[in-house]
Amino acid sequence: MSGRHRARSWTERTIRALLRAFPFDFRADHGRDLEQTLRAQHREATARGGRGALFRLWMEILGDVITTAPREHLAILKQDTAYALRALRRTPVFAASAVLTLALGMSATTGMLAIVNAVMFRPLTVARPDEIISISNRTESLSASPWVSYRDLQDYRAATRVLADAAGFSIRFASLKVDGAADRITIDLVTDNYFSMLGIGAATGRVIQPERGRPWIDDRVLVLAHSYWRTRFGSDPRIVGRTVRLNGVPFTVVGVASARFRGTEPLLRAAAYAPAGTFKVFSAGYSGNPFEDRALRMFTVLARLNPGVTIAEAQAELDVKAATLARDFPSTHKDVSLQIVPETHARPTPQLGPFLRRASTALAGLAALVLLITSANLANLLIARTATRGREVALRTALGARRGRIVRQFVTESVALSVVGGAVAIPIGVFAMERLRAFVAGASAAATLDPDFGVDTTVMAAALGIAVGAGVVAGLAPALWVLRSDVAENLRGAGRGVTTRFGGALRSTLVVVQVALSLTLLVSGGLFVRSLDRARAVDLGFDPNGLLLASASPALQGYDDEQRLAFYDRVRNRIAAIPGVEIASWIQFPPLGITGNSASVAPEPRPVDPKWRPPIASEGVVGPEYFATARIRLVEGRAFEGRDSAANAPVAIVNERLAQMFWPDQSPVGRYLIANDARLEIVGVVQNGKYQNVAEAPLGALFRPLAQVAPGSASIAIRTSRALADVGPDVRHAFSTVDPDVAIYDVRAMTTHLDNGSAFFPFRLAAFMTSLFGGMGILLASIGLYGMVAYQVGQRAQEFGVRMALGAVAADIIRDVLWHSGRFAVVGIAVGLVLSAGVAQLLRGLLVGVSPFDPVTYVLVSVFLTAVCLLASVIPARRATALNPLATLRAE
Amino acid sequence: MASDARAQAFLPLTPPTLHTLVALADGDKHGYAIIKEVARRTEGTVRLSAGTLYAIIRRAEDDGLIVETDERPDIALDDERRRYYRLTPLGRRVAAAEIGRLESIVEMARAKKLVPRPKSV
Repeated sequence: MSGRHRARSWTERTIRALLRAFPFDFRADHGRDLEQTLRAQHREATARGGRGALFRLWMEILGDVITTAPREHLAILKQDTAYALRALRRTPVFAASAVLTLALGMSATTGMLAIVNAVMFRPLTVARPDEIISISNRTESLSASPWVSYRDLQDYRAATRVLADAAGFSIRFASLKVDGAADRITIDLVTDNYFSMLGIGAATGRVIQPERGRPWIDDRVLVLAHSYWRTRFGSDPRIVGRTVRLNGVPFTVVGVASARFRGTEPLLRAAAYAPAGTFKVFSAGYSGNPFEDRALRMFTVLARLNPGVTIAEAQAELDVKAATLARDFPSTHKDVSLQIVPETHARPTPQLGPFLRRASTALAGLAALVLLITSANLANLLIARTATRGREVALRTALGARRGRIVRQFVTESVALSVVGGAVAIPIGVFAMERLRAFVAGASAAATLDPDFGVDTTVMAAALGIAVGAGVVAGLAPALWVLRSDVAENLRGAGRGVTTRFGGALRSTLVVVQVALSLTLLVSGGLFVRSLDRARAVDLGFDPNGLLLASASPALQGYDDEQRLAFYDRVRNRIAAIPGVEIASWIQFPPLGITGNSASVAPEPRPVDPKWRPPIASEGVVGPEYFATARIRLVEGRAFEGRDSAANAPVAIVNERLAQMFWPDQSPVGRYLIANDARLEIVGVVQNGKYQNVAEAPLGALFRPLAQVAPGSASIAIRTSRALADVGPDVRHAFSTVDPDVAIYDVRAMTTHLDNGSAFFPFRLAAFMTSLFGGMGILLASIGLYGMVAYQVGQRAQEFGVRMALGAVAADIIRDVLWHSGRFAVVGIAVGLVLSAGVAQLLRGLLVGVSPFDPVTYVLVSVFLTAVCLLASVIPARRATALNPLATLRAE
Repeated sequence: MASDARAQAFLPLTPPTLHTLVALADGDKHGYAIIKEVARRTEGTVRLSAGTLYAIIRRAEDDGLIVETDERPDIALDDERRRYYRLTPLGRRVAAAEIGRLESIVEMARAKKLVPRPKSV
């Protein structure tokens, strides 16, 4: 008996559960009947006997629910959407303002989604990208090389238990000459298994591939990237088999990589790929064997995990390899430990990956706040509209519409609005990202920066999902309110609309939330602006004003050391003769750029402490006039001179910090130091400066004379009293008279170089983005506040009319309105201050020289926001007093 | 004829809808009875599922083709207090109009000798 009872209740429970698939109204109207019918059919099938009959019945029921329920939902959706669109067409002003509000908020979100997607999620365009990991050397300092030498890479490849394969690539800049026209391009030197490991084939011709019996490929062959093939050669297939000149050396184009392959550089786009065996063509001056030299760490390494192998397993296995290397090669490998992370975590480099992830998460969080404000704003607009539709709602309720049905209708309306808003926002987001990409790409001509911030289907789907979510959230507010309101009261409210305490409270809360959130955004923006301010105020240790820079790479023409030095010398003399030029000097890498050198340095004699490790110092290679040109103060000893040439003993100048580290309170002049195995005599000491980024702790630095290093490329710093833009053409002319074949690039002011380099660019970008979000936030919040005050003033028009008829003056009314709305602003600002303090905590690691609780920012932002709130209230208040009191009264 | 135009506006009906209306032509029925009646009259070739039936009932009610009735034909037999449905005059006209539409198609097909005429005629 009890068994039968259980069976029945199981059946009933299942039937009830299935019925839940139907829309609320359908269930309310027919649920009981449907249940009875199903039960009756079930009884009959049981009576007919046989599990077969029962099974068939259940299949039938299931099929029935699966086909009928969605059809019912769809029918309601269609009906509601049509109704919503009709209703929105009737109120075009409301619809337009709602759509614009949404588009504003959602374009920010779409843009941030695109960035976050590019930085953290978008997989490489290779076969099974989730198997790809990054292998790099874990390093203490940002200036140490995280890359891997060729021999080390081969040792890691041998870990076949965890790795299917590992390949390396190394970026180079080269001049590509074909048919007399030269291009400066970005080229990836790749190990011969690079394409096979990634699973990339050729669109035409072939890719670089391993060959049996050869340890590495050193043929001078070139594979073009598909995009470069298209833009430079118009997709001409006849390029395959032709010879082009790279840095003056002939290379044969053997193929074009497949169209879908976008390369493995996150921020750069390689134009072509050459075998790593041709290394020396691109690195004039290197005399060792790059395939044996374990100190030559040049490869970014990507590996493919074997199926089913985890990162941790790979790490464990490769740690053993690294430990073996450390034991066998203590001089170069004693501190080596490996960092193994998914490829997506190593963008743009393994070291910067975590920072970039944190920064983009912070920005995405701020964009989410903008979206929240947008949602609150939409909710507020919808409530205001619902209030005027009170009678419509009451009528429909009285005619038998269930409240659930009306809630559904409201949510459909707001979702329809947000989907339209989203559709408007996505093109804006795409456009903004294209601008941002151009902004980043324009930062430097030296490296073809080309981040892919494209809005792909993932971003599109996420943005649309967010739109629907925002619509549901915003639509629930007025729906909730309808649920609470009294039908009879609404019917009585003769055309005036409904004002319930609940609706008023909800709207006030939403306004407070908006004010609080926009304060938070403004504080974040303010902190980053202050951060940028502080960064600009940092003493760089040189005077960047009035300096012009121009760069050239004579090594790309195949010049040897002597020819390069002659070139540098002649160009400098020509430029020094330009009217208005005071002084000029070469420097290998201008300070605080994207590229720079560093060296591990030790004093001679080396400290006896066995635990002592040589620190990393910034290394600059400069001409004799550099310190005078950059106005770097010489503290002791002498600057470089003509006698510091390749023929004489190598010398160096150190900064005060390095001198203090090695020889506290003694003069270092005349002493020796070892920098990357070179023994250098110290001839002078200069003041400290900033070398890699403005936030760095005081860093040791050494300078070496240009004539003793003869770098393959360098920039000339020119100090002039003339306007920099006027000098540019003269500088170009000077270069071309010396050697028209050497391309000159990146002619820019030193201040521009700093703005676009590692000095200020991150701060500028952060300040720009957060201020933009702050601006959007405050715009939305003031629209929200304005809307609410205007609505309340409208509600109280009769009261104001009476009061003015009784002798009140405009000022009284305005004061009254401001007093009312001022309370929201005050509460919003108070809540916002608390919220900001919490959010600022999260930003701590991204700020420079500014406390997350910087009182100046908090006070200024609060005052500013108060002013904006008052303004948003004064306008509708004034309008109320401008009404003719008698007319208002007559309307009663 | 104006009323005919009103009925015409509902045409064509889906076969399950037509079967439902026909099933109600000779008396009020509850949902389960409609399903059984349709199955019996078509010798099992048309099997309405419960979900489909109530979706049809819902639409037909909204359109005024059927109404729910308070009368119970036989209270003793009605153990579960089911809802009964009745064909409205409009529903009756709509069903008739649909059948007329089908007849004219059949007539056309016969004229073209697509199907033979019944022997008795």
